[in-house]
Amino acid sequence: MSQQSQSLRPYLQCVRSSLTSALCLSNFASQTSERHNVPEIEAQTSPEVLLNPLTVARNENERVLIEPSINSVRISIKIKQADEIEHILVHKFTRFLTQRAEAFFILRRKPVKGYDISFLITNFHTEEMLKHKLVDFIIQFMEEVDKEISEMKLFVSLQKYLVGDTALTLRIVECTGKICCGVVLDTDVETQPRGVQPKDGGRNK
Amino acid sequence: MLLLDYQNVLIQSVLTERFSGVPPVNIDQTVSDFDGVTFHISTPESKSKILVSIQVRCYNELLKYGAQQILEREYGPYVVAPEAGYNFSVQVDLDSLPDDKEARDDLIRRVSLLKRNAMAAPFENAFDEYHKLSEEASKFTSEEAPQGVQEGGEVKAIHYRDEEAIYIKASHDRVTVIFSTIFREETDRVFGKVFIQEFVDARRRAIQNAPQVLFRTDPPLELQGVPGVNNNGGGEIGYVTFVLFPRHLTRQRRDDVISHIQTFRDYFHYHIKASKAYIHSRMRRRTADFLQVLRRARPENEEKERKTASGRTFKVQGS
Repeated sequence: MSQQSQSLRPYLQCVRSSLTSALCLSNFASQTSERHNVPEIEAQTSPEVLLNPLTVARNENERVLIEPSINSVRISIKIKQADEIEHILVHKFTRFLTQRAEAFFILRRKPVKGYDISFLITNFHTEEMLKHKLVDFIIQFMEEVDKEISEMKLFVSLQKYLVGDTALTLRIVECTGKICCGVVLDTDVETQPRGVQPKDGGRNK
Repeated sequence: MLLLDYQNVLIQSVLTERFSGVPPVNIDQTVSDFDGVTFHISTPESKSKILVSIQVRCYNELLKYGAQQILEREYGPYVVAPEAGYNFSVQVDLDSLPDDKEARDDLIRRVSLLKRNAMAAPFENAFDEYHKLSEEASKFTSEEAPQGVQEGGEVKAIHYRDEEAIYIKASHDRVTVIFSTIFREETDRVFGKVFIQEFVDARRRAIQNAPQVLFRTDPPLELQGVPGVNNNGGGEIGYVTFVLFPRHLTRQRRDDVISHIQTFRDYFHYHIKASKAYIHSRMRRRTADFLQVLRRARPENEEKERKTASGRTFKVQGS
């Protein structure tokens, strides 16, 4: 907890306390069909047992939706995605997790619309697991998922540099006709016509 | 870091072994290479005569651009009539090998470069065309050049894979090489785009004399009106354009340029796949971490009363 970034802390703290207060669940049998016991937040059949949903937002790209009800709480997380590559990575990662939803007892197989990943905690979960640890899990998940995405992105960029660099050596090799790794000083740099550069600038958008 | 070789390593090793002076044996080996190329190494007549055949899917197109001449130039006396089912064959007689070691190694190298040499035909053709056009263009100033010279030659298409092709176009001041490459999924496309961006950046950052690289998802203007160019713009196909400037096209460099450009596609896709594999293993590890955190939420199982089969219980002494 100590290593979380200063700017992220109030956001996570807010999610933590909202979640702790929302996780006040009791066993509640369905009012609409006999001998059924369903998470009310999913069934949405009796409006009187649903509580007000709550959104904690850090900015428009990062927010958490907490929907409490008498016997279940649904938590949906929107993970920050700044560009195309982060979008792909988040999508891949959440898909990977939801495919393993069985192992993650509280993970919902499908996220709520507008969010990337959803959890559903019912009174049965809180009965057999420790409530504060469940909250810890959600908070840690939020923390790590951001970290993981940015690390993966860094890796892709690194790979990209490697590709670029090797490609670059390739090109140098092309240019000098010598096969060397590392830096090859090309004697043509000085003699090369300057007129090439504007063409480059004009072609790239 | 992976840098692909241009020669076929398997052919190279087979020939090196055979040439080293061990007693001749029967060989019958089929070797695959990139882009659906198949080789067949065999000894049909006698154990000492090794026949190497190549089969390329776009051989007819290559022939159109002078592959036969180039292969004959490279392999001269070794060329034989193509084996049935293959496009081109060379035969090496172990009894009449060149005497000195260097010449033998050179022969091995040349035979293992069979694919590269076959695929080089349209490139050489385009480079020659460029030299012709530039000579012609030097007679005019840029304003009054006749239409034919300014436009450049026709686009040479090589459909070397099922859905992918290389297009080469010579002009009087450059040769443009366009790869059309298919991305099976969105992730590949995004990764590809990120990688290509680096080519552009690298050029801007340090290496000014590298060829210009462009990436786009719709066919470039050079390919307008070329038959077989898919114009539906589904985003699945990416077009990577290399612009080779005169300094890449000099006689002493052209062989290297051709070799490098040919391996581009394999290299590019290798990196996309490597990144995906790495990210997948990372996600797996991270998921295991998350599971462990969740497992902590489950309270430890309390010690239950244990019974033997006959129903007796254990008792802690002293209580």
